[in-house]
Amino acid sequence: MAAESPSSVRKVVVHLRATGDAPILKQAKFKILGSDKFAKVIDFLRRQLHRDTLFVYVNSAFSPNPDELVIDLYNNFGFDGKLVVNYACSMAWG
Amino acid sequence: MMDLLHWDGTLSAKDFRIGAVAFAQKWESLNFAFPPWVWVPCPKHPWLASPELLQEEGYLSMEKICISRLNEEDIDQTTQIDTDEEEASCSGNKDVIDDATLVQRNHHELHYYDFHIVYSNTFRVPVLYLRAYCSDGQPLQLDEIEKELPTCSSKELSKSKWTFITQEEHPHLKRPWYKLHPCGTGEWMKLLFLNDTAQPKFEVVLELYLLSWFSVVGQVVGLRIPFKMLNDR
Repeated sequence: MAAESPSSVRKVVVHLRATGDAPILKQAKFKILGSDKFAKVIDFLRRQLHRDTLFVYVNSAFSPNPDELVIDLYNNFGFDGKLVVNYACSMAWG
Repeated sequence: MMDLLHWDGTLSAKDFRIGAVAFAQKWESLNFAFPPWVWVPCPKHPWLASPELLQEEGYLSMEKICISRLNEEDIDQTTQIDTDEEEASCSGNKDVIDDATLVQRNHHELHYYDFHIVYSNTFRVPVLYLRAYCSDGQPLQLDEIEKELPTCSSKELSKSKWTFITQEEHPHLKRPWYKLHPCGTGEWMKLLFLNDTAQPKFEVVLELYLLSWFSVVGQVVGLRIPFKMLNDR
């Protein structure tokens, strides 16, 4: 991983993983600013999949609050230089 | 030995109790933003049950969580007064500033929240019940609660979840509470653990079940799980 200079903003590699019977995205990997909120990832998914209700979670059986910072999620749940974000469709609330 | 592939994401009543206790213990030791959850036993037939059975049925309770903030009205009023204040200072009148402070104090009321985690025999999963009230005991309606609980910055995301909050009779207390509808819970609980890279055994799943469950439902009511609770595995 590149060393951070005070003026650089760290980007996080996010890998979106379809689970259940969710459609697989053509572009499943992208970079996002660490200082961005997780809501941005969820929003991106909603737009790509044209779905409003998505169930989004990370690999430790946990669904992050949309206000969490991506960098915090990466630091706690990332591995192999990326943050894997799982998604499934519309079964969340009844 | 239960294997995750064939698990339906639900729990038996007995497993709920085990999971609830584990969750409460973890919460108490690692979540300092809130008071601890307390297990409240509710035996069906207290006159028949043995001491062991007496402890079996019950729910988790975290009550009198104080949420106080200015309601929307006050914020608007304050803004209006600020505008007047500016005009007033131009004309040299400074008394308006004191009025603004007074308005805030008068309308500042405390709201209290009670949260219960109750087992649903029908769905075989935990269910979040909540209610809110003023310091004089006057209950808050759902739309007032909705406005007040911290929502995430993405309003659309939290909005859809609120549509699944209904008013129902609390299964043990027989009074109207609000509950977050549990259907679908088994499905997403199964997903959460099926895709857990640690691939835990069922005993570990049981220990973590309520924690993972709460990471999802807590979002609806603005209660966040600190990372150190999740990392402690």
